[in-house]
Amino acid sequence: MQCIKLEYDVDGENFASAGHASESVKRTLKQMGVSPASVRRVAIAMYEGEINMVIHAHGGKAEAEIYPDRIDIYLKDSGPGIADIDLAMKAGYSTATENIRSLGFGAGMGLPNMKQYSDEMKIDSTVGVGTTVFLRVNF
Amino acid sequence: MNVSELVKQAGFAVFTKGEDRAIESGYCGDFLSNIISRAPDACVWLTVMNNVNVAAVASLIDCACIVLCEGVEPDTPLYERGKQLGLWILGANENVYETAKTVARVCGV
Repeated sequence: MQCIKLEYDVDGENFASAGHASESVKRTLKQMGVSPASVRRVAIAMYEGEINMVIHAHGGKAEAEIYPDRIDIYLKDSGPGIADIDLAMKAGYSTATENIRSLGFGAGMGLPNMKQYSDEMKIDSTVGVGTTVFLRVNF
Repeated sequence: MNVSELVKQAGFAVFTKGEDRAIESGYCGDFLSNIISRAPDACVWLTVMNNVNVAAVASLIDCACIVLCEGVEPDTPLYERGKQLGLWILGANENVYETAKTVARVCGV
Protein backbone atom coordinates (compact mmCIF):
# COMPACT_ATOMS: atom_id res chain seq x y z
CA MET A 1 0.00 0.00 0.00
CA GLN A 2 1.22 3.49 -0.83
CA CYS A 3 2.63 5.23 2.23
CA ILE A 4 4.24 8.61 2.86
CA LYS A 5 6.75 8.66 5.69
CA LEU A 6 7.65 11.82 7.56
CA GLU A 7 10.20 12.16 10.35
CA TYR A 8 10.89 15.00 12.74
CA ASP A 9 13.27 15.75 15.55
CA VAL A 10 11.37 17.28 18.45
CA ASP A 11 13.64 19.73 20.21
CA GLY A 12 13.44 19.34 23.99
CA GLU A 13 12.51 22.31 26.17
CA ASN A 14 12.34 24.55 23.12
CA PHE A 15 8.82 25.91 23.11
CA ALA A 16 9.60 28.19 20.19
CA SER A 17 9.69 25.23 17.82
CA ALA A 18 7.11 23.05 19.61
CA GLY A 19 4.28 22.29 17.23
CA HIS A 20 6.55 22.23 14.19
CA ALA A 21 5.99 18.51 13.47
CA SER A 22 2.22 18.60 13.90
CA GLU A 23 1.98 21.78 11.83
CA SER A 24 3.95 20.13 9.02
CA VAL A 25 1.83 16.96 9.12
CA LYS A 26 -1.31 19.08 9.15
CA ARG A 27 -0.16 20.96 6.06
CA THR A 28 0.71 17.72 4.24
CA LEU A 29 -2.70 16.17 5.01
CA LYS A 30 -4.48 19.32 3.86
CA GLN A 31 -2.58 19.25 0.57
CA MET A 32 -3.54 15.60 0.14
CA GLY A 33 -7.18 16.54 0.43
CA VAL A 34 -7.89 14.78 3.75
CA SER A 35 -11.12 16.10 5.31
CA PRO A 36 -10.72 19.14 7.62
CA ALA A 37 -12.28 17.21 10.51
CA SER A 38 -9.71 14.42 10.22
CA VAL A 39 -6.86 16.89 9.79
CA ARG A 40 -7.88 18.62 12.98
CA ARG A 41 -8.05 15.36 14.96
CA VAL A 42 -4.55 14.45 13.79
CA ALA A 43 -3.22 17.93 14.54
CA ILE A 44 -4.63 17.94 18.09
CA ALA A 45 -3.45 14.43 18.98
CA MET A 46 0.00 14.97 17.52
CA TYR A 47 0.49 18.45 18.99
CA GLU A 48 -0.31 17.17 22.48
CA GLY A 49 2.20 14.36 22.00
CA GLU A 50 4.82 16.75 20.74
CA ILE A 51 4.29 19.09 23.67
CA ASN A 52 4.54 16.20 26.12
CA MET A 53 7.92 15.29 24.67
CA VAL A 54 9.10 18.89 25.06
CA ILE A 55 7.77 19.29 28.61
CA HIS A 56 8.59 15.91 30.08
CA ALA A 57 11.21 14.13 28.00
CA HIS A 58 13.79 16.58 26.59
CA GLY A 59 12.39 16.01 23.12
CA GLY A 60 12.57 12.95 20.92
CA LYS A 61 11.49 11.74 17.51
CA ALA A 62 8.11 11.98 15.80
CA GLU A 63 7.37 9.71 12.87
CA ALA A 64 4.25 9.75 10.74
CA GLU A 65 3.14 7.19 8.18
CA ILE A 66 0.35 8.43 5.98
CA TYR A 67 -1.80 5.84 4.19
CA PRO A 68 -4.79 6.54 1.95
CA ASP A 69 -7.20 5.72 4.77
CA ARG A 70 -5.29 6.62 7.95
CA ILE A 71 -2.22 8.02 9.64
CA ASP A 72 0.01 6.15 12.08
CA ILE A 73 2.12 8.31 14.39
CA TYR A 74 4.99 7.17 16.58
CA LEU A 75 6.29 9.54 19.25
CA LYS A 76 9.51 8.20 20.73
CA ASP A 77 11.48 9.69 23.58
CA SER A 78 14.24 8.72 25.98
CA GLY A 79 12.71 10.64 28.86
CA PRO A 80 11.94 9.57 32.43
CA GLY A 81 9.07 7.28 31.45
CA ILE A 82 5.56 7.15 32.92
CA ALA A 83 5.32 5.27 36.22
CA ASP A 84 1.53 4.96 36.34
CA ILE A 85 -0.06 5.18 32.89
CA ASP A 86 -3.65 4.90 34.20
CA LEU A 87 -3.05 7.87 36.49
CA ALA A 88 -1.38 9.86 33.70
CA MET A 89 -4.41 9.21 31.48
CA LYS A 90 -6.76 10.74 34.06
CA ALA A 91 -8.14 14.10 32.94
CA GLY A 92 -6.74 16.85 35.14
CA TYR A 93 -3.75 14.88 36.42
CA SER A 94 -0.47 16.61 35.64
CA THR A 95 3.12 16.57 36.85
CA ALA A 96 3.95 19.81 34.99
CA THR A 97 5.82 22.44 36.97
CA GLU A 98 4.52 25.90 37.80
CA ASN A 99 6.73 27.32 35.07
CA ILE A 100 5.15 25.02 32.47
CA ARG A 101 1.68 25.96 33.73
CA SER A 102 2.46 29.63 33.30
CA LEU A 103 3.00 28.88 29.60
CA GLY A 104 -0.55 27.56 29.31
CA PHE A 105 0.21 23.84 29.62
CA GLY A 106 -0.19 21.41 32.48
CA ALA A 107 -3.99 21.22 32.49
CA GLY A 108 -3.71 17.44 32.61
CA MET A 109 -5.53 17.17 29.30
CA GLY A 110 -2.67 16.13 27.01
CA LEU A 111 -3.01 12.35 27.11
CA PRO A 112 -6.84 12.45 27.40
CA ASN A 113 -6.95 14.69 24.31
CA MET A 114 -4.68 12.31 22.44
CA LYS A 115 -6.98 9.41 23.30
CA GLN A 116 -10.12 11.34 22.45
CA TYR A 117 -8.92 12.49 19.05
CA SER A 118 -7.28 9.27 17.88
CA ASP A 119 -8.90 5.97 16.93
CA GLU A 120 -6.17 3.92 18.52
CA MET A 121 -3.56 4.83 21.12
CA LYS A 122 -0.89 2.72 22.76
CA ILE A 123 1.64 3.83 25.35
CA ASP A 124 4.75 1.78 25.85
CA SER A 125 6.79 3.21 28.70
CA THR A 126 9.62 2.11 30.94
CA VAL A 127 10.70 4.28 33.85
CA GLY A 128 14.23 5.53 33.31
CA VAL A 129 14.29 4.36 29.67
CA GLY A 130 11.64 6.28 27.75
CA THR A 131 8.21 6.28 26.23
CA THR A 132 6.78 5.47 22.82
CA VAL A 133 3.26 6.57 22.05
CA PHE A 134 1.48 5.12 19.03
CA LEU A 135 -1.48 7.02 17.61
CA ARG A 136 -3.69 5.98 14.72
CA VAL A 137 -6.28 8.28 13.20
CA ASN A 138 -8.59 6.90 10.51
CA PHE A 139 -9.71 9.36 7.83
CA MET B 1 -18.20 39.75 9.81
CA ASN B 2 -14.53 39.76 8.78
CA VAL B 3 -11.62 40.37 11.13
CA SER B 4 -10.71 43.76 9.62
CA GLU B 5 -14.26 44.99 10.22
CA LEU B 6 -14.15 43.77 13.84
CA VAL B 7 -10.89 45.66 14.35
CA LYS B 8 -12.45 48.84 13.02
CA GLN B 9 -15.69 48.61 14.96
CA ALA B 10 -14.25 47.37 18.26
CA GLY B 11 -11.16 49.58 18.15
CA PHE B 12 -8.78 46.70 18.89
CA ALA B 13 -5.02 47.16 18.55
CA VAL B 14 -3.40 45.26 15.67
CA PHE B 15 -0.06 43.58 16.38
CA THR B 16 0.09 41.23 13.37
CA LYS B 17 -2.18 40.67 10.39
CA GLY B 18 -3.46 37.61 8.59
CA GLU B 19 -6.04 36.55 6.05
CA ASP B 20 -9.21 38.60 6.37
CA ARG B 21 -11.55 35.74 7.26
CA ALA B 22 -15.14 35.65 8.40
CA ILE B 23 -15.74 35.30 12.14
CA GLU B 24 -18.24 32.61 13.09
CA SER B 25 -17.89 32.24 16.85
CA GLY B 26 -15.80 33.01 19.91
CA TYR B 27 -13.86 31.14 22.57
CA CYS B 28 -12.24 32.30 25.82
CA GLY B 29 -9.42 30.42 27.50
CA ASP B 30 -5.80 30.24 28.57
CA PHE B 31 -5.20 26.50 28.98
CA LEU B 32 -3.90 25.48 25.59
CA SER B 33 -5.15 21.88 25.77
CA ASN B 34 -8.69 23.12 26.36
CA ILE B 35 -8.43 25.50 23.46
CA ILE B 36 -7.15 23.02 20.90
CA SER B 37 -9.80 20.49 21.80
CA ARG B 38 -12.77 22.83 22.27
CA ALA B 39 -12.41 26.10 20.36
CA PRO B 40 -14.54 26.08 17.21
CA ASP B 41 -13.16 26.84 13.74
CA ALA B 42 -13.16 30.46 12.58
CA CYS B 43 -13.54 31.74 16.14
CA VAL B 44 -12.22 34.83 17.85
CA TRP B 45 -9.94 33.45 20.57
CA LEU B 46 -9.75 35.66 23.66
CA THR B 47 -6.86 35.05 26.01
CA VAL B 48 -4.32 36.68 28.31
CA MET B 49 -1.56 34.24 27.28
CA ASN B 50 1.11 35.96 25.22
CA ASN B 51 3.87 33.40 24.61
CA VAL B 52 4.88 31.70 21.39
CA ASN B 53 2.74 28.60 21.99
CA VAL B 54 -0.32 30.76 21.36
CA ALA B 55 0.73 30.98 17.70
CA ALA B 56 1.12 27.21 17.34
CA VAL B 57 -2.29 26.60 18.91
CA ALA B 58 -4.02 29.35 16.89
CA SER B 59 -2.61 27.85 13.73
CA LEU B 60 -3.74 24.33 14.67
CA ILE B 61 -7.30 25.37 15.45
CA ASP B 62 -7.61 27.73 12.45
CA CYS B 63 -9.11 30.51 14.51
CA ALA B 64 -10.03 33.72 12.68
CA CYS B 65 -8.00 35.87 15.08
CA ILE B 66 -6.45 36.04 18.54
CA VAL B 67 -7.39 38.87 20.90
CA LEU B 68 -4.98 39.47 23.78
CA CYS B 69 -7.07 41.02 26.56
CA GLU B 70 -6.30 43.22 29.58
CA GLY B 71 -3.74 45.29 27.67
CA VAL B 72 -1.45 42.28 27.18
CA GLU B 73 0.97 42.51 24.26
CA PRO B 74 2.59 39.57 22.43
CA ASP B 75 6.12 38.78 23.58
CA THR B 76 8.76 39.00 20.84
CA PRO B 77 8.73 35.28 19.85
CA LEU B 78 4.92 35.31 19.59
CA TYR B 79 4.99 38.51 17.54
CA GLU B 80 7.60 37.05 15.16
CA ARG B 81 5.78 33.73 14.80
CA GLY B 82 2.43 35.43 14.30
CA LYS B 83 3.91 37.49 11.48
CA GLN B 84 5.54 34.43 9.95
CA LEU B 85 2.38 32.28 10.09
CA GLY B 86 0.12 35.12 8.95
CA LEU B 87 -2.05 35.18 12.08
CA TRP B 88 -4.14 38.10 13.28
CA ILE B 89 -2.98 39.06 16.77
CA LEU B 90 -5.17 41.82 18.18
CA GLY B 91 -5.20 43.60 21.51
CA ALA B 92 -7.93 44.88 23.84
CA ASN B 93 -7.56 46.83 27.08
CA GLU B 94 -10.65 45.38 28.75
CA ASN B 95 -10.76 42.05 30.59
CA VAL B 96 -11.79 38.85 28.83
CA TYR B 97 -15.45 39.13 29.87
CA GLU B 98 -15.85 42.70 28.65
CA THR B 99 -13.96 41.96 25.44
CA ALA B 100 -16.17 38.93 24.78
CA LYS B 101 -19.23 41.15 25.19
CA THR B 102 -17.77 43.55 22.62
CA VAL B 103 -17.06 40.72 20.15
CA ALA B 104 -20.57 39.34 20.64
CA ARG B 105 -22.17 42.75 20.11
CA VAL B 106 -20.08 43.72 17.08
CA CYS B 107 -19.99 40.35 15.30
CA GLY B 108 -23.36 39.00 16.39
CA VAL B 109 -21.83 35.69 17.46
